[in-house]
Amino acid sequence: MSEPVSRPPGLVVAPELPDIIPQKTPRKGLLGFIIRNPAMAAGIFILGFMVFVAVFAPLLFTVDPTALAPSRRNRVPSELYWFGTDQLGRDIYSRVIYGARVSLMVGFGVAVLASIAGLMIGLVSGMVRWTDGIIMRIVDGMMSIPPILLAIALMALTRGSVGNVILAITLAEIPRVARLVRGVVLTLREQPYVEAAIAAGTRTPMVILRHILPNTLAPMIVQATYICASAMIVEAILSFIGAGIPPTVPSWGNIMADGRTLWQVRPHIVMFPAIFLSLTVLAVNLVGDGLRDILDPRMAKRI
Amino acid sequence: MSGFLLRRVLATIPVMGFVALFVFSLLYIAPGDPAAIIAGDQATPADVERIRAGLGLDRPYLVRFAEWLFRVLQGDLGTSIFTSLPVSDLIAQRIEPTLSLMVVTLILAIVTAVPLGVIAAWKANSFIDRAIMALSVLGFSVPVFVVGYLLAWIFSLKLDWLPVQGYTPLAKGFWPWLENLILPAVALGFIYIALIARITRATMMEVLQQDYVRTARAKGVSEKAILFLHALKNAAVPIVTVIGIGVALLIGGAVVTESVFAIPGLGRLTVDAILRRDYPVIQGVVLMFSFVYVLINLIVDVIYTLIDPRIRY
Repeated sequence: MSEPVSRPPGLVVAPELPDIIPQKTPRKGLLGFIIRNPAMAAGIFILGFMVFVAVFAPLLFTVDPTALAPSRRNRVPSELYWFGTDQLGRDIYSRVIYGARVSLMVGFGVAVLASIAGLMIGLVSGMVRWTDGIIMRIVDGMMSIPPILLAIALMALTRGSVGNVILAITLAEIPRVARLVRGVVLTLREQPYVEAAIAAGTRTPMVILRHILPNTLAPMIVQATYICASAMIVEAILSFIGAGIPPTVPSWGNIMADGRTLWQVRPHIVMFPAIFLSLTVLAVNLVGDGLRDILDPRMAKRI
Repeated sequence: MSGFLLRRVLATIPVMGFVALFVFSLLYIAPGDPAAIIAGDQATPADVERIRAGLGLDRPYLVRFAEWLFRVLQGDLGTSIFTSLPVSDLIAQRIEPTLSLMVVTLILAIVTAVPLGVIAAWKANSFIDRAIMALSVLGFSVPVFVVGYLLAWIFSLKLDWLPVQGYTPLAKGFWPWLENLILPAVALGFIYIALIARITRATMMEVLQQDYVRTARAKGVSEKAILFLHALKNAAVPIVTVIGIGVALLIGGAVVTESVFAIPGLGRLTVDAILRRDYPVIQGVVLMFSFVYVLINLIVDVIYTLIDPRIRY
């Protein structure tokens, strides 16, 4: 590296200038992350708390969330029943804690399934020209049906179960992911490095795997978090109006549906699951915003 | 202009066609016997047989679809299993409350969200901006029925300012009608306001960096005129787009809001149909709402060309 290079006479190379702007050394580690992204850190903390609650539900001083007890119906929150009891005498605290399982399962399940399916459809649509017109017309048609109504229609056709709720919401969310991925793919395939790869004789599957796919991941992960948040809300809405999880399974939407008739005299039945649901969705949204700022700085500036 | 209009209207026909095909096909994609699904839970085997014969399952799929579509185009959406009334009559009976709720929400959302977004962009990164943006994240996170119960609890039960639940037809006077719609509209509009405010802020921030804004400032145009005359006009297209797309949120949210506030509209009709497993009603409501949604976005596209003469298709 330090070999003397022969220069034409008279050419002087400027000496390296000392760095006059002091290097900013960002604080490393967990504390630094929290200082730089306080909202995202709060989101991760709340989400972590909810996951903890869901996993260790049986150990958190809960009783059987489906146990009926006519003798202790409609209690207000007390030392014994922290969140009170509902019309059938079930312990609302236990139901809310167990409800975290359903919400998280639906949120993560829909986010993962919709991302995978949307990614595949979007890749095909963006890479295989002749399929694009057909796929996009179908996607346009599906996007013309408001997602909650589509999920309601699907749930009206099948029996209520956690699996069916996940599938119904997934189907309603796929078109949006497919659209996003297709858009990214269309801009990527015009990039010189993709053209170079194709010109060098790389086969299409390899082009997709090596050059296209990695670049779609960042916007898709961000999108997946928003899907997760919206799926949790849709699940609660479906359960609330009686088109979702079976009423025996404790889910936040179901607990609110149970509390609906009594909400004017016992507002806490509706409010405790409502607080948990809102906090969880808020946490997922905060994580999503944080990921967007980190993974996709250009988009962060715009929105 | 008329050429564009014609092309744009024609372009919605395939979209509506796919919506119709999709809504029609759902019944057959779903696991189980389509006739049994339509007949509902309380049907006798004879009922199921009768419906199966009516469906004409022996004939080709596309022929059945064409026949069904032909009836739908004539306004025949089928017959409700539970009430034995035509679905189109049921929808007509329930449309006023839903339409009222959505119009009031739409107006409320636009008149609050756009100024909020403009102020947030104008005072970017200030305390006001952060407060408005925090409110918008909250709007995306708190589900519509939670906002609804909270508002009803505070303003109806505790303060007794507004009626708790119910609906008064417009024919009985403007104020009684509006009084019942204020809380539902605020609840339903919360997420919509968050969405519109966010987009308004983002586009306004971009527009405010343009040269003509600097020129306007340099020649002494007042800040108010710069924001609302110069900048907002040029930021209008994305804002109008998101108002159109966001109507999907309103439609979905209306179903829940009507449940919370006991409004006898299409949402109530849908929820009752779910509980009674009255599939033809659900199908009719989904189809009608999708048609309205496509129509609104068609209108939005036409509005573009009016507010922005640069857009030519």
